[in-house]
Amino acid sequence: MRRRKVDHKRWITGCMATLILFLQTGCWSKDEIEDLSIYVGMALDLPYETVLERKMDQLGSDYRKRNHISFTLQIVDKQSEAKSGDTKDDPTSKPYLNISETGDSLFEMIREFATRLERPVIGHHLKVIVINEALSRRYSMNNLLSFMLRDNDIRLNCLVMMSSGTARKVMEAKGNSIIPSFRLNGMVDNRYRTLKIIPPVSLSKLESQMNAHASYLLQNVIAVNGEVKLSGAAVILGKTQKFIGRLSEEELLGTIWLTGEGKGGVVKSYDPKTKQVITYELKSMKSKIKSRVVGGKISFHVSIESDGRLIEEWMEGNETIDDEFIIRSEKATSKEVQRLIKLGLNKIQNRYKTDVVGFGSRLSIEHPKVWKQVKENWDETFSQVPITYDVKLNISETGSKQGH
Amino acid sequence: MSSQLNNKLTEMRERMSFHSDVCIREITLGATEIKGAIVFVNGLADRDLIDLHILKALMTLRQDCAPLTKSYVMERVLTISQLSEVPNIEETVAKVLMGATAILIDGIPEILLAGTTKNKSRNIEEPISEALVRGPRMGFNECLSDNTAMLRRHGENDSMVFMSMQVGSRAKKDLVIAYMKGIAEPELVEEVAARICKINIDNLPESGYVEQLIEDDFLSPFPQIQSTERPDRVIGAMMEGRVAILLDGTPFALIAPVTFSMLLQSPEDYYERWLAGSLLRLLRFFAAMIALLTPAMYISFISFHPGLIPTKLAISIVGSRIGVPFSSLIEALIMEVAIEILREAGLRLPKPIGPAMGIVGGLIIGEAAVQAGIVSPILVIVVAVTAISSFSIPQYSAGIALRMLRFGAMFCAAAFGLYGVVLFVLLLSAHVCRIKSFGVPYASPGAPYRLGDWKDFFVRAPIFMMRKRPEMMHQESKRRQKNE
Repeated sequence: MRRRKVDHKRWITGCMATLILFLQTGCWSKDEIEDLSIYVGMALDLPYETVLERKMDQLGSDYRKRNHISFTLQIVDKQSEAKSGDTKDDPTSKPYLNISETGDSLFEMIREFATRLERPVIGHHLKVIVINEALSRRYSMNNLLSFMLRDNDIRLNCLVMMSSGTARKVMEAKGNSIIPSFRLNGMVDNRYRTLKIIPPVSLSKLESQMNAHASYLLQNVIAVNGEVKLSGAAVILGKTQKFIGRLSEEELLGTIWLTGEGKGGVVKSYDPKTKQVITYELKSMKSKIKSRVVGGKISFHVSIESDGRLIEEWMEGNETIDDEFIIRSEKATSKEVQRLIKLGLNKIQNRYKTDVVGFGSRLSIEHPKVWKQVKENWDETFSQVPITYDVKLNISETGSKQGH
Repeated sequence: MSSQLNNKLTEMRERMSFHSDVCIREITLGATEIKGAIVFVNGLADRDLIDLHILKALMTLRQDCAPLTKSYVMERVLTISQLSEVPNIEETVAKVLMGATAILIDGIPEILLAGTTKNKSRNIEEPISEALVRGPRMGFNECLSDNTAMLRRHGENDSMVFMSMQVGSRAKKDLVIAYMKGIAEPELVEEVAARICKINIDNLPESGYVEQLIEDDFLSPFPQIQSTERPDRVIGAMMEGRVAILLDGTPFALIAPVTFSMLLQSPEDYYERWLAGSLLRLLRFFAAMIALLTPAMYISFISFHPGLIPTKLAISIVGSRIGVPFSSLIEALIMEVAIEILREAGLRLPKPIGPAMGIVGGLIIGEAAVQAGIVSPILVIVVAVTAISSFSIPQYSAGIALRMLRFGAMFCAAAFGLYGVVLFVLLLSAHVCRIKSFGVPYASPGAPYRLGDWKDFFVRAPIFMMRKRPEMMHQESKRRQKNE
């Protein structure tokens, strides 16, 4: 039998080292998950105190603040007393809880909730931030999102959206089974079905655009009676990081075609001969922006290619689809696409004077020297640059209908 | 003359007066009229052997055989293979008590001793603690000679060495150190023999005693010597240069030295094709991780890092934990202790009740605990997954180590969250890297790093690629397969 000789000095040093390790802690805030309020959505609005807040103010709730922003948090509410003891969802109450504060510092307001809620709020699971467009017209993104970007609980994959109406309304749902933030988060995934949804803008993406003083689009959400729709997009001007205007749904379609970022969707047009509906479902979309500099003059050409299928037609006599009809449909569809592009381009180039499509980055790649000269004032320059485009559409199939 | 025989018999009677099972049978040797006696222990000695080859041979002697000499009896009369002569009575008594038969004959001063020990052993059965789907269905039994025979029977092999020893000061027991000459490192064999020689204890009931008396670190939770019921495992280990220790009276042979990865290996890994073997082995490593860390992970996620759980899961956990009055640690402890109790109870129960007990425990208690709001349903899943994973560890003793350490991990998690779990794993890794089993680092070939031995570590390389024996064992002969 061999017994290890225990070296007391080493033993003590070992213990000390271990103990010191345990003191080197980062954050060890122990809080059981059910004792926390998980917030999943945020809405920023123009100052408008809720009835509840006003009543509280009358009762003496007051501290030094300027009412600049109304701030709404959406908390997933699984823990209310009424629901306890039963693990199933109670169908008579909403699964979420919206709570609002008005003030000037977002962080102060979020901590103010500690005086109003039993369980402290945590932001790990924040999914979506909705900003009212009028508020964004007033304050820059730098200021509005400062807290969200600095806080280390909030994940950078949280989405940012705009609302042309009240953002708080977006955070409401009609039934008792929907959590509005999750609904928004899920809707963004439908990009393969429609071209009206722009690629999601997360906090990290937004931060990089913000730091590059670039202009960008944010998805616009409108809400009516607890239902929402993704409709159009808000344009944020690079220099000021403020909202300068909205693209309508059609204008948005045009810019999506320019960027070639669509994943799937429809183009509806009318047959010039019969005036009937022709619907094209795109399977792929590609756009190539080429920059040209001739004698110091910048110009762009965008070639757009798309492949898809004829999915619906309203021909009168159930005729077979012949090549002539296909060519006609392709023409009609590409004409429709060109119309959309024209609409969109006109808006961003002439009205808002912002490059949200990414012409600038193409120029910086292809003509870096020229880019260096125009970089500073690119949005201005962009509005003067001639842009041409061509659209090549290919209907490669007509679906599974028998006899064409 | 006849008084000499009587003297001896009286002395024997005196010495064995407390042994009620000793039979002394006095006889007359056939027609020679010479008196004699045989002494044996009832039940220990083989009656058939005594009747046919001793009594019959002696009692049918013809008259012309007289006077009898020792050599005549030994060479011509007794038809028995194991025969020796003992000068004194003391030694005779010791041997008789082990099953030999003493033959005393008037006129012959020495006492003859016939080996009539009856080996009452079990049949060779399938090892219960290490069942396999594919592989020999042979397991060791309690008889040492059967066990060594089983090893011999593996194949014609003149380099297999059995070093016999006796251990235990009061109850002497046979112990065999088995190794392959020409493969096993001689220093290793010496070390094993030296450690066994140092054992100074009155009684060794089971090989577990040997294991605990010769292991390197008695404080470590990990077994540093492997115990097995499978002869094929022992042969495999010996062929790698390890040493096996077999003790009489137990079906568990010991294998030394041992590395950590061996505890998660099963002979089946080698019998199945290499892909299946490798994947199953990886799966076992993964299961060991689960068995060790899942409850700790649960605690740290629930209590410290709600942000690391996917949102929807986090919400459903919140929903399921409403009304649970305990913190996650207490909750997990309740369930873990409950399942350990169930397991222990299931082991002890008679076979027909065992499974029923499992069902009662697992299903009803789990379900009822959730219904009563003592624990959350997620925790029941965690505990169940942990228990199932720990069953997939092929070595029972390694499983116990992980079961113990699991609780340590849980406490660390409850104190410091994932940071605590990381610290725990660090300390554990440091410990595993530190301990040695008979000079071989426990964590090898991981640390110290030996790439050549990784062919048989997490994965099991195709057999044709494993040309060499594992290097960490410093064998005398390295090659298993000849180069073409």
